[in-house]
Amino acid sequence: MPQDEISFTDFIASSIHDMKNSLMMQVHALESVAAECRQKGDLETVQKLGGVLYEASRMNSSLIQLLGIYKFDKAIYPMDVVEHSLADVIAEAVMQNTSNLNFKGLKITTECDPDLYWYFDRDLVSGMLLNALNNAYNYTKSRIHIVARQVNGMLELRVEDDGRGYPASMLSNNSMGANKGIHFSKGSTGLGFHFVSRAARMHKNGGTCGSLAIENGGQWGGGCFIVRLP
Amino acid sequence: MSQDKEQTLIAQLKKANILIIDDFQGMRTMLRNMVKDVGGVKIDTSASGKEAISQLKQLNYDIVICDYNLGPGPNGQQLLEEARLNNYIGAAAVWIMVTAEKTTDMVMGAAEVKPDDYILKPINQDMLQTRLEKLLLRKKSLGGIEAALKSKNYVGAIEQCDLKIREKPANLQEILRIKSDVLLTIGRFEEAATLFESVLAVRSVPWAKTGLGKVKFHTKDYEAAKRIFSEVLADNRIFMEASDWLVKTLDAMGDTVQAQKVLQDAVGLSPNSAVRQKALGETAYKNGDLDLAQTAFEHTIRISEFSPHKSAAVFAGLAKVFSEKNSPVEALNVLKQGKREFKDSPGAELETAIAESMVYEKMGQQDKALEAMAQAQHLKGDLGGALGPAMAMEMAKALFRLGNKEAAAALLRDVVKNNHDSAGISAQVQALFESEQLGDEGRALIQASRQEVININNQGVALGREGKLDEAIALLRKALQEMPGSETVMMNLCGLLIVQVKKSGRSDERLAGIRELLYRVQVLNPANKKQHEYTAALNAL
Repeated sequence: MPQDEISFTDFIASSIHDMKNSLMMQVHALESVAAECRQKGDLETVQKLGGVLYEASRMNSSLIQLLGIYKFDKAIYPMDVVEHSLADVIAEAVMQNTSNLNFKGLKITTECDPDLYWYFDRDLVSGMLLNALNNAYNYTKSRIHIVARQVNGMLELRVEDDGRGYPASMLSNNSMGANKGIHFSKGSTGLGFHFVSRAARMHKNGGTCGSLAIENGGQWGGGCFIVRLP
Repeated sequence: MSQDKEQTLIAQLKKANILIIDDFQGMRTMLRNMVKDVGGVKIDTSASGKEAISQLKQLNYDIVICDYNLGPGPNGQQLLEEARLNNYIGAAAVWIMVTAEKTTDMVMGAAEVKPDDYILKPINQDMLQTRLEKLLLRKKSLGGIEAALKSKNYVGAIEQCDLKIREKPANLQEILRIKSDVLLTIGRFEEAATLFESVLAVRSVPWAKTGLGKVKFHTKDYEAAKRIFSEVLADNRIFMEASDWLVKTLDAMGDTVQAQKVLQDAVGLSPNSAVRQKALGETAYKNGDLDLAQTAFEHTIRISEFSPHKSAAVFAGLAKVFSEKNSPVEALNVLKQGKREFKDSPGAELETAIAESMVYEKMGQQDKALEAMAQAQHLKGDLGGALGPAMAMEMAKALFRLGNKEAAAALLRDVVKNNHDSAGISAQVQALFESEQLGDEGRALIQASRQEVININNQGVALGREGKLDEAIALLRKALQEMPGSETVMMNLCGLLIVQVKKSGRSDERLAGIRELLYRVQVLNPANKKQHEYTAALNAL
């Protein structure tokens, strides 16, 4: 293929593909090392590996978000809205994070009717959940609670923790869509919130579109990350 | 996962032939270990698409886990298309694409080229296990429908869908979608429209709205079809199916300029679809946009190198573009390349020979042009006269250029006779005559040919009514030899044969004759109403 025909999209896609392969191999290798250590009773190393695995999960989440936003901007995201089981999608997101959640000894509970089906793009909602779980992982003390339910004709997806909650400065400007005026604590680029709020807005039905909101409270008075989809 | 389910999954996996395709050694090993840990036993691996094809040909795999990017050679998508097109995998087989990002083709392509599922990287064992379990369950629940579809038993497939729908399954949408496709295929448009409208009453989903557009298209309400497809695209520009149908609609309306615009947009979004690039090349050529046609055809050749959609028409098309751009040497080179690629395919050779004749004629090399045409005539004979209307018209065009008006007219007469009730084909034939300044002759020929077919059919039906069955059957049999593609002749003959069975008894030979006619029409046009009627009558015999 002549040079000028290699587009930026191709580069992004192929690099991300490559990075994801590497990431997958890394995670797989780390998990087997951790298993070995656990067998030998070397819990200190297991603990350290947990942190590394968490960082790998964050990296994966960022890759998904970058590629997603790029495609939203170009209007080339293959939005595929079909009916899915919420219980299945949540179970899979938790499964994807089992290892790093286990390392921190976090307890995850889910509250979702097994018969709850909704129309959405599976990968976008998985990406949103992954982002919410990574956040909660960082801020929670001991547990994370995921709720999926129908409220006023919308699907409400909540990820709640028992941490200190969001700082007042973030809550005061709760228009996550605009994403302006939010001062992110260090380590946060704002990418996650931006992605989730864009991904939520990609879901439309009739005149309504999806949204992202944050609040403090929920089951344990910690941070609540709420996605609503029409 | 419950223990029970896990046990069934393990039992199923133990029996299954599993193929893992990934160009990356580390990934292959990892996937293999994962599948093994879940319960897989008979696991093969391939490191490339080429290797995978030979394995798929040899063994009937039940589960294929395939990476999308496979390095040089075909990618996962092309591999899947080839496997499905050539029946290397059965209807019950599960194909999972492992990928870093989902692509348009993976989710927006036609059903037969979509994987059963895709898994975004990174994957872990638990995920693979749950997905496999779900897919195997789903395949089992669709098994009856898919088997009926594969044997082209459309009515049976609809019955199976209805049975499932009554059970209110989790994948209700999927089954409704399959049912609606079948309804469209066999021409039950009203029922399809009702189905789409009932889905749309709950939520505006693009597949149902596109489906409604297809109903409008099939019932020739092109304005409405155009509006609906455009609306789907306005909401969801990446929904390629609507874009493909919009192009079809615009073509039917004769608006090739607008069709080109839509195709250009579609190709921008999904540049690696050989089918769309080819359509763009053909449309641009029609519109006289030779530069764009050249780019599109060249691109098609490049991306379809490993695709089952590789076609000789693209080489012929590119050659014509070069020829019109006064680059005959390049044109001949392209044709030479085409010949190399499509050895042993008489259809492809014929297409190439016709194009060659036109190129030589334009160069002023009459001898060589005639030589190529002689070869084309010869190949046409080999094909038993079974040319599609498009190729026959192309050949007629070349004959006109050579000044062989008679042979051209004879070919066109056959085209009209084989499709005497298609106004679209008559219009195309007329346009061809007009471009040779032979409008009046064209009109007369079309009129006479259509009348001839109508007369024969009327005569056959009248003889049948008079009780002269054998005479009627003989008349239509002879007519069918002259116009082997005529649905009307086939169906009238079929009707007479059924009466014959009713009157003078059934025999295996007679029934086989009727079945063959029904099958031929079903392949030509699954929506033919008479064919459904007679199939029912045959079953009632």
